Amino acid sequence: MSEPGASKETLHIDPYEKNWMRISIVLLIVFAAAVTIAGFALGFQVPSPEERVDPNNLSGPWLSPGLRELSPGVYEAYIIGDAATWQFDPRDIEVPVGSTVTFYVTSRDIQHGFKLQDTNINMQILPGQVSKLTYTFDQVGEYPYICTEYCGTGHAFMFGSLTVVEK
Amino acid sequence: MADKPQSEHEAGEFHPRGTVAILVMFVLAIIILWASVYVILLSRGVTV
Amino acid sequence: MATREYGSDRLATYPVTKTDKRFIGAHILVAVIALSIGTLFGPLQAFELAGIDLYPYLEPVFKSYYQGLTIHGVLNALVWTTFFITGFFTLTIIIGFKRGLRYPKLNRVGFWTMVVGLVMAAVPILLDEASVLYTFYPPLQANWAFYTGLTLVVVGSWIEGYGFFFTYRAWRKDNPSTRTPFIAFGSLLTMAMWQIATLGIAVEILTMLLPWSLGIIEGTDPQLARTYFWFTGHPLVYFWLLPAYVSWYGMLPRQAGGKLFSDSLARLAFWLFLLLSVPLGFHHQFVDPGVPAGWKYLHAVLTYSVFFPSMLTAFTVIASLERAARNRGGKGLIGWVRALPWDNGSVTAQLLAGILFMFGGLGGLINASYNVNLVVHNTTWVPGHFHLTVATATTLSFMGISYWLVPWITGKPLWKPRLAVIQAWTWFIGMLIFSNAMHVLGLLGAPRRTPLGVAPYVPEEWTGHLLRVGLGGAILFVSAVMYVWIVARTAWRKDRLGSGEEIEVPVAESIQDPQLTPRWLDRWVPWLIGTVVLILIAYGPQLIDQIANIDLGSGQAPAIRPW
Repeated sequence: MSEPGASKETLHIDPYEKNWMRISIVLLIVFAAAVTIAGFALGFQVPSPEERVDPNNLSGPWLSPGLRELSPGVYEAYIIGDAATWQFDPRDIEVPVGSTVTFYVTSRDIQHGFKLQDTNINMQILPGQVSKLTYTFDQVGEYPYICTEYCGTGHAFMFGSLTVVEK
Repeated sequence: MADKPQSEHEAGEFHPRGTVAILVMFVLAIIILWASVYVILLSRGVTV
Repeated sequence: MATREYGSDRLATYPVTKTDKRFIGAHILVAVIALSIGTLFGPLQAFELAGIDLYPYLEPVFKSYYQGLTIHGVLNALVWTTFFITGFFTLTIIIGFKRGLRYPKLNRVGFWTMVVGLVMAAVPILLDEASVLYTFYPPLQANWAFYTGLTLVVVGSWIEGYGFFFTYRAWRKDNPSTRTPFIAFGSLLTMAMWQIATLGIAVEILTMLLPWSLGIIEGTDPQLARTYFWFTGHPLVYFWLLPAYVSWYGMLPRQAGGKLFSDSLARLAFWLFLLLSVPLGFHHQFVDPGVPAGWKYLHAVLTYSVFFPSMLTAFTVIASLERAARNRGGKGLIGWVRALPWDNGSVTAQLLAGILFMFGGLGGLINASYNVNLVVHNTTWVPGHFHLTVATATTLSFMGISYWLVPWITGKPLWKPRLAVIQAWTWFIGMLIFSNAMHVLGLLGAPRRTPLGVAPYVPEEWTGHLLRVGLGGAILFVSAVMYVWIVARTAWRKDRLGSGEEIEVPVAESIQDPQLTPRWLDRWVPWLIGTVVLILIAYGPQLIDQIANIDLGSGQAPAIRPW
């Protein structure tokens, strides 16, 4: 490709730029390590597939959404998002401090969001799918849960409240 | 390196020291801001 | 290092025909009209958040915050961008290759297809039949014409891309071993990436949304639809970003009086974007119920890798500017920045765009960090982030490009060049205020896509930041009006540039002769193979799984039109 006597093709990289490339890669590796440890060792995880359901025919625990106690201090909360009324069902939940609650959330109709303020519970809610994450409430207080995905006219009014009370 | 000529002529070598200085500040900003949000994540509790 | 005088013919810029200039101008015209309308809705959203709801005054024409948001998103993020990009690339292809388009009629077919698509999508949007936002997530259902219109806009852009590829092939036949001129190379690569990327929404619309909205199939699978959408949705942002990079690498150094610091690394960055733009869309789906955590994690790692070419870009672009500034007499470790031509609106806009983009990219790294995303998903942090990227890195750069492009097209001097500088600074300041407030609000828990002015759960703590959102929006609006006014006044003025005053399209030389850049940085097939293989690995298994387990049980009326 090069004629004899012509300069040679080189990927000439300025030494400063080479160092910059090294710094960038190290930075990304450090962040990736922090994320991996938090996720896979410490338990800061994202949702994974749980179950497929029929949004037109929700059955089983979905027939009576709300809180159920599995054993002392261990709860499940089944919550349904609904764009016909722009409500979460239930709109109110109360648990004693120290409780661990597993949230199962689905939608009757279109996409919603479920964000429990001041926690890491933040999920996309799809009809036909169940979104699941768990949380332990160590502090007394009020935790609103709000819809974070556009779901129509009443979207801004779609929220509930989880209250953590003294035992 | 203060005496090193910074103006470029074809046979000379230009090394972008200023660029490095700016990018070092950028990396510090990245670290501080990324770490702040990571700390927020940790402070809000585990999810499994 | 000594180089031969390879650039001596650079000033003999190709004389673009009037017809081609008008064709390019048609793209810019549509783009600017779209931006004018789209940015009208920005302040409406921002003011609503600050507690001033102007929508009641706009009924019966515009029905809601959500219709406004749909108009804002579609016109700004999809129309302004696509038309400006294809128009700008028409120029870079012609000037880069120093020849006309191979099949000009083909490119015109592409352009008019986009225009027809735009009108087709605009009608239902304006009739409030498609208030589904620019992501149109089913089971929200828009009128079938909305989906068809968007499809035509995408197909039209493909066709213009094919016109560019044919032009490249013709040039290559005449120039078998010459390095592809950089601005043409960057444009071709962007369109190739776009062609691959848009397969996702093409399949989503053609196999799911269109038949469903026409009543041919009775339901939809929202998880699969999201997967298809974000297959495209992530590389979409590189479709927006790479044209700005073409200017930052290939034009801005010249505008600053210098050269491109490294031709090789500029090309390498672009190849890495082709390779890495698509196989990481799950980072928009970190909290989706139907995608396994393992796949989400893989995409997070891949997303970290695509940060690398942007880090390369930061170095190469800033180094090019530093060299230019020092040659202009700039001194000091950082003080040389002042020696850049800040009195040039086109340069200032792009410099400010680059500064804010650094924060946008940083935010993107946070968004991409797997579980860290739990903190910010669906909060106002996200639009805070993308207003720094598409609405600044891209949009403010395009505004800057306009300040030489429109005079070049029209043969008329830029109207009030000092105002152009002020316009760039007002955009910068407005965006700083707006975006910062949105980021902070997001960390406080404020949801995106929500008229917070009426949401009952908004605590006192958010009020001050919401007011800043309104203030930022107001300043941005003023800046947008300035931009449109400057461009319009330039195009409509009666006096023309005299001979000898014509605008030269700024094309940067690189320090090292591009002919010395290694061949593997100018060969398509290996990179394309790698791109396809990586996509198959990153998406294949999940797509197969989601398609095999498709469930069309969602999306039954009447819930699908909840606005």
